Amino acid sequence: MLARVANNLFWMGRYIERSEHIARYLNVNYFSSLDAPNQRSQSRQFVLQSMLFMVGDPEKDEEKTLKENEVLFQIGLDHDTPYSIINNIKYARENANSARDLISTELYEALNKFYHYIVNYSPENFVKSGLHDFTTHVMETTDIIRGKIRGTLLHDPVYAIIMLGINVERATQIIRIINAKYNDALNSQGGYEDKFSKSFEWTTLLKSAESYDMMRRLYKKTPTSVSTLEFLILNPNCPRSIMNCLNEVYKLIKVLDSTTKYNKNSTAFLVGKVRSEFEYKYIEEIEGDFQNFIEKILDDLSQISLKMEKEFFNY
Amino acid sequence: MTNIENKIFSSYQKDATLYDEIFDSEGQIKEVYQKLFSLYGEHSIKDYVNLNSKAKASFFNQGITFQVYGDKETKEKIFPFDLFPRIIDPTEWDIIEKGSIQRSKALNLFLWDVYHDKNIIKDGIVPMELISSSDNYLDQMQGLEPPEGIYNHISGIDIIKHNDGKYYVLEDNIRCPSGVSYVICNRTALKRALFGVFNHYQTYSVTNYAENLLDLLETVKPHGVDVPNTVVLTPGMYNSAFYEHSYLAKTMGVELVEGRDLFVENDFVYMKTIKGPEKVDIIYRRVDDQFIDPLEFNPDSVLGVPGLFAAYKKGNITLANAPGTGVADDKAIYTYMPEIIKYYLKEEPILNNVHTYHCSRPDELEYVLKHIHELVIKPVDEAGGYGILIGNKLSDKEIELAKNQIKATPRKYVAQPIMSLSVHPTYIDDSEEFEQRHVDLRVFTVLGKNKEFVLKGGLTRVALQKGNLIVNSSQGGGSKDTWVLKSI
Amino acid sequence: MSIEYTINYSTTNTYENIVKSAFWQFLILPESNKNQELVNVKLNNSLNVANEISINGYGFKTVRIHTKKEFTKLLFEATFHVIKNDINPYQFTEDNTEEIKLINNINYLIDFESFLKCTTYTKLPKTDHKLFVFDWSKTIFQNLQNLNNWVYNFIYFKVNKTNIYTTLEEIIINKHGVCQDFTHLFCAIARKNKIATRYTSGYLHQGNGYFGDSQMHAWAEAYIPKIGWVGFDPTNDLLADINHIKVCHGKDYQDCAPLKGVIYATGKNKTSHTVQVLSQQQ
Repeated sequence: MLARVANNLFWMGRYIERSEHIARYLNVNYFSSLDAPNQRSQSRQFVLQSMLFMVGDPEKDEEKTLKENEVLFQIGLDHDTPYSIINNIKYARENANSARDLISTELYEALNKFYHYIVNYSPENFVKSGLHDFTTHVMETTDIIRGKIRGTLLHDPVYAIIMLGINVERATQIIRIINAKYNDALNSQGGYEDKFSKSFEWTTLLKSAESYDMMRRLYKKTPTSVSTLEFLILNPNCPRSIMNCLNEVYKLIKVLDSTTKYNKNSTAFLVGKVRSEFEYKYIEEIEGDFQNFIEKILDDLSQISLKMEKEFFNY
Repeated sequence: MTNIENKIFSSYQKDATLYDEIFDSEGQIKEVYQKLFSLYGEHSIKDYVNLNSKAKASFFNQGITFQVYGDKETKEKIFPFDLFPRIIDPTEWDIIEKGSIQRSKALNLFLWDVYHDKNIIKDGIVPMELISSSDNYLDQMQGLEPPEGIYNHISGIDIIKHNDGKYYVLEDNIRCPSGVSYVICNRTALKRALFGVFNHYQTYSVTNYAENLLDLLETVKPHGVDVPNTVVLTPGMYNSAFYEHSYLAKTMGVELVEGRDLFVENDFVYMKTIKGPEKVDIIYRRVDDQFIDPLEFNPDSVLGVPGLFAAYKKGNITLANAPGTGVADDKAIYTYMPEIIKYYLKEEPILNNVHTYHCSRPDELEYVLKHIHELVIKPVDEAGGYGILIGNKLSDKEIELAKNQIKATPRKYVAQPIMSLSVHPTYIDDSEEFEQRHVDLRVFTVLGKNKEFVLKGGLTRVALQKGNLIVNSSQGGGSKDTWVLKSI
Repeated sequence: MSIEYTINYSTTNTYENIVKSAFWQFLILPESNKNQELVNVKLNNSLNVANEISINGYGFKTVRIHTKKEFTKLLFEATFHVIKNDINPYQFTEDNTEEIKLINNINYLIDFESFLKCTTYTKLPKTDHKLFVFDWSKTIFQNLQNLNNWVYNFIYFKVNKTNIYTTLEEIIINKHGVCQDFTHLFCAIARKNKIATRYTSGYLHQGNGYFGDSQMHAWAEAYIPKIGWVGFDPTNDLLADINHIKVCHGKDYQDCAPLKGVIYATGKNKTSHTVQVLSQQQ
């Protein structure tokens, strides 16, 4: 496979995954805030701030009143904001275009239809009443596309590279979401009942990661900071957890690099190292130094991405 | 008007001066179309409206589109596809196939000659000026031996049927002829829409193009290569024919590369893969001559590969088509095709050429200026149907303008009698009816070492505007599935 | 008798911004022909990458280097040893019988077609077709010698006034230029008179104070029926001789440009070349 095309496929995976997480974050935070148990979490400004924080574009001026339709448009359908959902899908399709000869017609057709649907979505409608419809469509379609990736491609290096993109991005987005909600939980500590560890935001966080039901099934209790973070970061069986993503990335990188030779400079080595460090962490250790933990894992992921670029995508 | 008993054709307007592909001069359905005609009659026009919009959506969703660049945004358009197939009977096809091979071979021998001893010029058959004044003649190709002596591996020959019922060649395309992916997509789309009609006919498949192309390209691999590594070279995804490039790469099962994926070292060509450099032996390039190597040709080209030509000259790679083939598909060379065929093959041409007047010859120039209203004027160096003037469609003022243009640079123009392209019933969106529209046929021929292949189908292009004779997709043309019958 | 030359060619290319990747092709290797022999070649570049020898589209040897390492400066040096036979350029008998018929013969027109056509650099402005008129009562060789002398007198040798983009039109107006310009004018007028003429690039041994500065030199070669290719150096009003060491020929400068590069970088760059030709009699 061509290095340039491999790079494009990696990014196709990343953009598809990214658009899904942004869409879900908008959806869950907007709609769960409507009947949140405290005033702070219900506040429109609070939710809009959180959305901008999650996409990496927080409003620095705390005095500024954010306008709902502007923020929604900016994150959803604005061609001029690089992180918008519409741009993510556009980039994903462009990347797929350059690799059309390698992917299945079915996968391409699904992505292409998705693109046309989003491009033709009326922005007026979206900000007025289409948020639920639009974000649901994005979430469902990204699932269909992942289904096409799994179900119609040869499980060869092409597949491995796309799935690498998906998993690296998933880990990154889950961390961003955790970080955003952690931030929200800190900011929404009000009266004696809404202490940080029992914040309503942990439920929203789990829902934003589509993991609420399974978490309840496992812990059988209202989510707290410790149980939520433990589940989303360390539980290897939770398909959205960082641990699970790292395990997947490790498996996939082995498809590309099948040598058994010891090579401390290889991407596979780095992934293995990060994964192993993670495996033996415990949640109290993380919670004690949360900001550093977040920075460290984001940095690890970007190092992995850079290393992959050098080793496989160098053209 | 003849009475046609078929409800979907109840309002089909027949112009008696035109040659209709499915009705004979008495208004009777031709034999090969009879079954299809009655099968189509089982549907109502509403069904066609419905099927037509489904077929369109299918093309659009599959991204079988080409880009149209506007001032503000790029639009994606589908190449309009028609639901009524064109049928060619085995006897007629036999002529087309043999004629196309004959032409491709003659063009190949001509190319070899003009890049070597130029005997055809020395023998006075073709004038020197045609070569020396052609921008498409590449000095760098002189004396170069392409692997197995093949220059025009892939030819697209444009054929029409005139109102005398005979086939004529209008143009030979031997640079990077495009359109073959539509042949296959049209078939797929028609099968999806009207699967019921196929089992009534014995039609040749068109899906074998890619494997035949790859087979034949592999017969002209560079010397000393055992199992050649083939790639398709595209200018990139913003090229209007990118879909076709990716389609060909995918169906041939080879890599689709851009210039920046390749590099040359010690006169060998490599592509950059995730496992490091991999040697490339055969390049089916869809990048024009001027852009393939900035060291030899256009120095500003970013689409090409520095050093590619030297690797080619050394015989380390095969380029298909060879650089410099453009000199032979020039419209001025076209007019010499009957002589070229006779000169190299010692055979009579199987397919007719349209008689051509050369404005560079004083007596013919005079004739052209006098009879301009009966002629089609073509600039010799424009592709894609641009700059063509049709004499009987011009106003007096335009005629004067055209005459002055021709007089100023006679060498730039040739003229031909206005050929009346045959018409074929075509489903028209606006009227929601079948109407007569002009059609031509592009036939794809592949030359390999002692082997050739003609795709049994070809691309029937339709001029969708009423009365229009120009079928190019860039000028608003559409296309039809084309059936070549194994037997009637 | 023969002379052994040592030729040093060096070039320095500096780039304003970092170059990510680059590909250069040098057309500077003396050819081996019946009058000269390239004995040995030494090549060096400051990037420590391989010097590849290849052949360009016109059949001349080139040196190519390419790198994917980042850099801002390239130094390239080449040293050649060439043995040149001393051949009297007048060593032929003139025979002008049927000369005109021969240059109009279809074989001449076809075989030398490339060197008969007008190119970007050899295009005469319409009004200047009568700048120099051939006297057909004389032989082609005499006419070309006169043309050589005429060009020599017409253009004043001056460096840094013209560059590789200067057209003949400007040169005819301003009347100064360097060897390229002399040669293009010679070729243009000779071709106008149906004599196949090619632009020739190479090195000039300047021991005798000829023009040509310390760069590569250019002269013309014309094909005279029954004689063959004869070299004319209009910059010095000479016939090409033992002092002219040929690298390549082409339709004009463009076919013979000593350095072509494909550079992946933004911003400006500076190039300088130096050439040194030393001789020792054998």
